[in-house]
Amino acid sequence: MIDMRNLKKVYKTGSIEFEALKGVFLKIEKGEFVSLMGPSGSGKSTLMNIIGCLDTPTGGSYYLEGRDVSGLTFDQLSEVRNQKVGFVFQSFNLLPYATAYENVELPMLYNGKKAPERRQRVDELLTMVGLYDWRKHRPTELSGGQQQRVAIARALAMDPPILLADEPTGNLDSKSGEEILDLFTSLWKAGRTILMVTHDTKIAAYSQRTVHILDGKMEADI
Amino acid sequence: MIFIFFKNLFMDLYRQPLRTFLTLSGVVWGTFASVLLLAFGDGVSKSGKKSMHGMGEGIVIAWPGTTTISYKGITKGKAVRLTAEDVLLVKEKVPDILRISPEYIRSRRIRYNKEEYNNNIRGVNVEYQYMRNTIAQKGRFIDDPDVKNRRRVCFLGNTIAQNLFKDEDPLEKKVYVEGVPFMVVGVMVKKIQNSNYSGQRDEHCLFIPYTTFSTLYGQKYVSNVIIQPFPGQSVPVVANIREYLGNKIGFSPKDADALFIWDFTDLEKSLDIFFLAFNIFLGMIGSFTLMVGGVGVASIMLVVVEERLREIGVKLAVGAKRKQILRQFFSEALIIILMGGLIGFAFAALVLGVIPMEKIEDYVGHPQINVMVGIVTILILLAVGSIAGLMPARKAASTNPIEALRSR
Repeated sequence: MIDMRNLKKVYKTGSIEFEALKGVFLKIEKGEFVSLMGPSGSGKSTLMNIIGCLDTPTGGSYYLEGRDVSGLTFDQLSEVRNQKVGFVFQSFNLLPYATAYENVELPMLYNGKKAPERRQRVDELLTMVGLYDWRKHRPTELSGGQQQRVAIARALAMDPPILLADEPTGNLDSKSGEEILDLFTSLWKAGRTILMVTHDTKIAAYSQRTVHILDGKMEADI
Repeated sequence: MIFIFFKNLFMDLYRQPLRTFLTLSGVVWGTFASVLLLAFGDGVSKSGKKSMHGMGEGIVIAWPGTTTISYKGITKGKAVRLTAEDVLLVKEKVPDILRISPEYIRSRRIRYNKEEYNNNIRGVNVEYQYMRNTIAQKGRFIDDPDVKNRRRVCFLGNTIAQNLFKDEDPLEKKVYVEGVPFMVVGVMVKKIQNSNYSGQRDEHCLFIPYTTFSTLYGQKYVSNVIIQPFPGQSVPVVANIREYLGNKIGFSPKDADALFIWDFTDLEKSLDIFFLAFNIFLGMIGSFTLMVGGVGVASIMLVVVEERLREIGVKLAVGAKRKQILRQFFSEALIIILMGGLIGFAFAALVLGVIPMEKIEDYVGHPQINVMVGIVTILILLAVGSIAGLMPARKAASTNPIEALRSR
């Protein structure tokens, strides 16, 4: 699913160079539930951005579902993000003026799917996360846990093979957090590949495997 | 997509009423000013031309003067005099003249019952009405039998007719000119005329057959001559008239003061150019006003982009392409500007509908929104909108999604 070999990312600010990733090797198989842990400044966010195709590496190779995406342009990556990756953010990042329904529909709008197909998919996803009755509510009318479930439904709209979650429970109380993690677990059991960033070992315990990053390099799997 | 886009746009406009009002007001005011300026410019040019046609359409006026060049042994300073017969012969001798009329002008006391005015009497022939646009609203102009038989009939300017007769019907009534009765055969239709080449404007004048005039007042020589050359022929016609009359009466064809000529067709051409420049000037003022409104929209939209960075980031993250973001913000700016334009247009139409046109018609004509005004305004709006929309849209499209998603 994900195969990174000697991946490097160098930031240049004027004449100063900063090496955020110093040759990362990471392999995630289809159907795995992996936690990524690491202290701040370890290159964790940079790695997530590259995995999510929001950023491009400056060296090495990155194969996503067998395709090398390290050399693609931004707009080419837009398509990859749309179809291959589902994002779940710590702060939900829902559109405030749009209803739960419209938020889930968003990725499909950029793919030009027809209205009946969109409607069916949105209804299906909202039912799955248990928010079908809330479909006409705006994010401000929903609890944090409900907002995150809408965000998960949105991430799954295009049925991407991999789900990327960046501290998905960071803004939630523990009960809502557990619900979200249970949802992830059931998604994983249904065959979805999940990569989750966290700094909490208790949360990482939900996953099947935990990888650590430190100073731009992967540490051995635990 | 379209639906969510409009919903987004109107929600945004609705949630920030003050900002929306301020943004729109610049464009509304700019459009309002542009439309009014263009409409008035158009009205003024049309009334300018009309008013010119009030004096005459494609005519040349000739005044006999005094020679300033010695000619065939006669020293300069000789008064040039033309009789009505000379004038009528010109049409036969000089080619390319469509119409010609001698004109005698004097001020006389004109009376009907107890109303008396000291106004211009003009002795003219039948063709005069077509050259000077003295069209009959009631009755008729002077006709051939009137001229031939030296009848004491008169055609009244609309204002003098109104002043003398009030609500009475002037036709067939007798007005007294220095005690001599004249029967009214017609009244002129109201026309726009701001000035006249000599004497009062036509609406104040009384027109009689030139034959009657010269017999009654013993005046042999005409005051001036009105000539209508075939279209485009005024220059050769003027030269040929000078040549012919110079030979006949005795002045040099090169002597401009012996026969002073005013070529209206020339004037009309320069008037056309003047009004074109005038309208372009007004259009520019209008578009500058509108541009200020456009700058307002652009700056507000830049702020909006800043406020909605996170939204842009989310859209990019779920697969929006940069050009889709560009299109979204560009059309938002364009729609705001077109909306403002529509409101401004409606206001201008309202104001033009409310203005009492009769009171201003003599000065600025009839300002109205015609096809030209509409097309020019829409073009200006589109130009301003495109420029104002492109800047924020480019900024939005160049958003870095990583930073946008991290922003709080």
